[in-house]
Amino acid sequence: MEKANGARAPPPQQQPQHRINVPSTARERVSSVDPYGFERSNDFDYESYEELMSEYLAVLTKRSIKWSKLLQGKSRVEKNFKVKRYVRKGIPNEHRALIWMAASGSQEQMENNPGYYHSLLQGQHDPKLVETIHTDLHRTFPDNVQFRKTAEPCLQKPLYNVLLAYGHHNKAVGYCQGMNFIAGYLLIITKDEEKSFWLMEALLGRILPDYYTPAMLGLKTDQEVLGELVKMKVPAVWQVMMEHNVMWTLVVSRWFICLFIDVLPVETVLRIWDCLFYEGSKILFRVALTLIRHNQALISQAQNLPDICDRFKQITRGTFVEDCHPFMQNIFKEPGSLSMATITKLRAACRARITAVEP
Amino acid sequence: MSRKKASKGKGGSASPSTTKDNSNKSSKSGLVAGVQANGVVHPSRPSVSSSEFYDVAFKVMLVGDSGVGKTCLLVRFKDGAFLAGSFISTVGIDFRNKVLDIDGVKVKLQIWDTAGQERFRSVTHAYYRDAHALLLLYDVTNKASFDNIRAWLTEIHEYARQDVVLMILGNKADASHDRTVRREEGERLAKEFGVPFMETSARSGLNVDLAFTAIAKELKHRSMKGVDEPKFKLHEYVNKEMKTTGCCRT
Repeated sequence: MEKANGARAPPPQQQPQHRINVPSTARERVSSVDPYGFERSNDFDYESYEELMSEYLAVLTKRSIKWSKLLQGKSRVEKNFKVKRYVRKGIPNEHRALIWMAASGSQEQMENNPGYYHSLLQGQHDPKLVETIHTDLHRTFPDNVQFRKTAEPCLQKPLYNVLLAYGHHNKAVGYCQGMNFIAGYLLIITKDEEKSFWLMEALLGRILPDYYTPAMLGLKTDQEVLGELVKMKVPAVWQVMMEHNVMWTLVVSRWFICLFIDVLPVETVLRIWDCLFYEGSKILFRVALTLIRHNQALISQAQNLPDICDRFKQITRGTFVEDCHPFMQNIFKEPGSLSMATITKLRAACRARITAVEP
Repeated sequence: MSRKKASKGKGGSASPSTTKDNSNKSSKSGLVAGVQANGVVHPSRPSVSSSEFYDVAFKVMLVGDSGVGKTCLLVRFKDGAFLAGSFISTVGIDFRNKVLDIDGVKVKLQIWDTAGQERFRSVTHAYYRDAHALLLLYDVTNKASFDNIRAWLTEIHEYARQDVVLMILGNKADASHDRTVRREEGERLAKEFGVPFMETSARSGLNVDLAFTAIAKELKHRSMKGVDEPKFKLHEYVNKEMKTTGCCRT
């Protein structure tokens, strides 16, 4: 730094500096494993990540200070307009478990039912449930170092426990593929089996409609609801979907079932979940509509069904979704107004239509 | 709504799509166009990305219980790779394309990979009727997945088109120590239903290319058979070409 009115120092002699172990490329500076334990893919763009992070770190720091002030060491948080605004701007990772637990009512549930989680793990287990869960244990985040068999501690056992407990707790659901990824994320964030179980219960029991039951009626309904919303808000895309007879389930079922895990970048998913726990399932439509509307030109140029599928994959990648802070601001602007009343009405209509067709 | 109707103006039967695919698909195997698996080069074919040009296209669906190795089989066929423990459970439905050279004809297989868990079937049923071929997999180390083959066949009978090309594959044939279904059991069941059968291994690659090639040959012959050309016999072809696992622990 140069002093404002100080005497200009003579330019330093260019001396050869021996830089030892000073990384010179983003690839060397950025860890190949992300903060949550996921290995970055071979085609990960370290340069643009570093660029994004340099801006996002400033946001994170600012948010962290604000949250610390808000919480002041408290383990409780009220739901109010200010907190909602804070949540939309992102919960710092160190407070994530706490806020998710508080906002979703999981903390209360856990306190009101001491010992319940552990009681579910004791006693007889349904062998079919055990086997189904086992089939997916090694197929849950093999790209995450915390889920490796060799990891210490390895999250596979906690994952098994959470899924088994949940399957016994909610017999109507049991185990549905996709729940493994959700429980996996919860364990990564909370680092606590019991909390993960109660957050799982909040999501599947209260926040989401019946996505995971054998009939998957809630899933089918919400896919159709999205279709109706697209028809209203992004007619060009609806048109191309109709033209090529593409069922929504083909392109969006993973969005709903996995709550965007493995669809969008990890950090973006967590930011979405911040709002999901606080505001409810409506947020999933906001995200889906934002992706679709923002990319409507691309999607509506598709030539055929596989082309549509490809484009629906394409829109979940790139800077638009990686840059999670502006993306989250976008989801509250891009789709326009979206009232819960509209969603409720559409859900009722779509559900009636589906049940009328199916036996 | 967006319910899929019977394909428009295609007469319903195994009429393949013959449009050229102009989309810019990324192709890792861009240099192998015109080269058959056995290395025969067809100089008449331009050496372009194998996924861009084709003469006929067919839909193939992979079905079978959860964890039998559908995705692994597909990735082995598509990329020639098997990375143990790198796969995640398939949720919903997904597809990959691969263009094969069948006797000088570029046959594009659009291969649909499906979630195996029972509750996802109501989602995948809708796609059965568009499939020209179905590869039904079980896991030779998982008796239950074999026992479920009958239920799968019932379902296929109900939802797939009548002339669907069907093949049963006993996957994970390399895992001789954990095997619980003998090859003869698979053969017997397949024979009972008159369906071609072979054992495969996504890990070792055993019969993987053959399974898809046989399907492609059958579909190609059905759709573009010349008047004097003899009928392609899928059963015979499979039985002649397939390899069996070396040792006989059964």
